Amino acid sequence: MSSAGRSTKPLSQLINLLGRSLGQIQKAWEPFIVDFAIIATTWILITYTYSWFTRGPELATYFLVPWWLFLIGSVEIAVLWESFGVSLGHTLFRVRLLGADRRPPTLRQAVVYFFGWHISALPLAGLLASPPLHERWSGLRFHPLIVDSIRPRPWYRRSIGIYLMALFVVVSVAAVGVTITFQNLVRLFSDAYRVAPLWRALVNPNLAILKDSFSDLIVTIFMAVMATLFATIIAVPISFFAARNLTQGAIGRTVYTILRGIMSIFRSIEPIVWAIVFLVWVTSAHASFAGVLALWIHSIADLTKLYAERLESIDEGLMEAISATGASRFQVLRYGVVPQIVNPYISFTLYRFDINVRMATVVGLVGAGGIGGRLIAYLSGQRYANAGTVMLLIVVAVWAIDYLSSRLRSKLL
Amino acid sequence: MEQSGHLAIKNLTKVYERGQVVALKDLSFSVKKGEFLVVIGLSGSGKSTLLRCINRLIEPTSGSVSLDGVDVTSLPSSRMRRMRRGMGMVFQHFNLISRSTVLTNVLTGRLGYTPVWKSMAGWFSKADHELAMKSLERVGLEEKAYVRADELSGGQQQRVGIARALMQQPSLLLVDEPVSALDPATSNSIMQYFEEINQSDDITVLTSLHFLSLARRYGTRIIALKGGELVFDGLPSDIDDSRFKEIYGEEAEEVEVR
Ligand SMILES: Nc1ncnc2c1ncn2[C@@H]1O[C@H](COP(=O)(O)OP(=O)(O)OP(=O)(O)O)[C@@H](O)[C@H]1O
Ligand SMILES: [Mg+2]
Repeated sequence: MSSAGRSTKPLSQLINLLGRSLGQIQKAWEPFIVDFAIIATTWILITYTYSWFTRGPELATYFLVPWWLFLIGSVEIAVLWESFGVSLGHTLFRVRLLGADRRPPTLRQAVVYFFGWHISALPLAGLLASPPLHERWSGLRFHPLIVDSIRPRPWYRRSIGIYLMALFVVVSVAAVGVTITFQNLVRLFSDAYRVAPLWRALVNPNLAILKDSFSDLIVTIFMAVMATLFATIIAVPISFFAARNLTQGAIGRTVYTILRGIMSIFRSIEPIVWAIVFLVWVTSAHASFAGVLALWIHSIADLTKLYAERLESIDEGLMEAISATGASRFQVLRYGVVPQIVNPYISFTLYRFDINVRMATVVGLVGAGGIGGRLIAYLSGQRYANAGTVMLLIVVAVWAIDYLSSRLRSKLL
Repeated sequence: MEQSGHLAIKNLTKVYERGQVVALKDLSFSVKKGEFLVVIGLSGSGKSTLLRCINRLIEPTSGSVSLDGVDVTSLPSSRMRRMRRGMGMVFQHFNLISRSTVLTNVLTGRLGYTPVWKSMAGWFSKADHELAMKSLERVGLEEKAYVRADELSGGQQQRVGIARALMQQPSLLLVDEPVSALDPATSNSIMQYFEEINQSDDITVLTSLHFLSLARRYGTRIIALKGGELVFDGLPSDIDDSRFKEIYGEEAEEVEVR
């Protein structure tokens, strides 16, 4: 019997149970976390901007109140919003807080929900109950949003619409106010003459340094080539374990989750930061090697994600058809998967090479080899004409590679 | 064994974990060698699930499937692969390698017979190449052997699908709605290939079809599913108006495809 393989082991039952109640807790918290985050962010933005204007940049503060009051306040506002209105979290996850038979909540129910939430959520234990205690007491719970024939209120008359609009205004004011001063703006227009030699060099390069700069440029391009090549070699096999549809079962899922997690952490650290790390690690005597390592790590993370996402969208029908011929797992990969991904993979690799050429210049700026180092040396020595010449070279090289790779990629699609 | 016939299905049940859908409910029937069995039923009645449970592209929840006395459902995966060689499958959306040539597509039908290392390099034996050309001749596509599969029309692609299944030299052909993506005239010509294969090679054909008129014309026997249960099992001529309404619901009306 086929059901023999699905024997009910107590351990797996326990894991299932745990998974289910974790899933429930997650459902109950998702909207709350969104609301809390957005309110806390707004609070910080408002108080920071306000104190920046009233007390000056040096004394600007984030909360205006002790940090614990800030935390409690944000939680309370979020719960109030969720108990008595349709919050941003509700909208985002497409749920509504409704009573039995999808009746809208009465005031009494909302009050019970609000206070019940504190009793059940603060010690956490009340959330483990199914349904969570505050839902049980108030009779309210999340129902999936059903778009029915009733015309929804226009966005500017809903609490979310008003809230988002206010948020937009606050953020704009804060951003402009904190980053730009009037003196800055004046200098932008009046002091342009300082870098005039740089612009002049773009049309009239300094031929004396052209040859040396060119050999630095070659180093930069080689750095990009090395990083892309070795990243591809690593990322191609890894991507198969980072694709959701190809990793099934408990072990597969775990590998998938860990790989995706590591990759997204690696990707969120910019190559320039990696370059600094590796400069310390392998010493700056091997500067371009550190640069290659920095680009390599970042490329692996980026390519793995791009590759894996492509794998997740392959046509499973072909895999089915190949499996149905009696093919083995490797044969299914070779004939059911590979033909669907070869071209996209090449295209992603070229695209990444493109980025790496540009990034190789940037990591050079912190001393990790190549033409970036030369550029930063000229700039800090205020030799703007030479810097302009180097920039001209970079522009031409990046443009040419960009052009070639996009032509190649359009052929591949 | 008390199993009658070639393919025997006993108490087959499939529950999809996601959404707890019961797609097949305690299904039992058997198929004799050389039969042309048509499975009909509304969309969602479980036709595709049934066909895929037979070659275990979908793992049944309980029950058994046996082919020529071998219990398919209990086979370990390596022996299951050998078993699949004897069951060809043809799909609604053809499922070809669109960027590869017709010949390569047809050759993949031999993967179950080819050592893994050889197939990784794309090497198939001379005999396989000859067989591939013969299969293509049978479906009238020998001239298209080196054309890319995605350059063919829908009807031609389905013929490549048939040739691929023939390469397995199967004793059973599982066919999932082979003509629902095709126009009526092409549909008939595709069905005629199945009829010819069924009669001259004595290959059992198990196919789901949407149009009752096609089922009547080509089937030697019809079974009907409704909500995952067997609601009819008999000769095409036994499906009268009241039977038809039982299977497809009161509102339905028969559409003719010629
Ligand atoms: N992977 C899946 N996960 C969950 N439910 C599924 C899955 N595949 C099919 N089902 C459900 O199982 C039932 C039977 O589906 P199946 O595809 O076998 O029907 P069908 O008769 O082939 O329909 P159609 O004529 O539309 O192809 C349907 O209710 C469907 O929603
Ligand atoms: Mg189907």
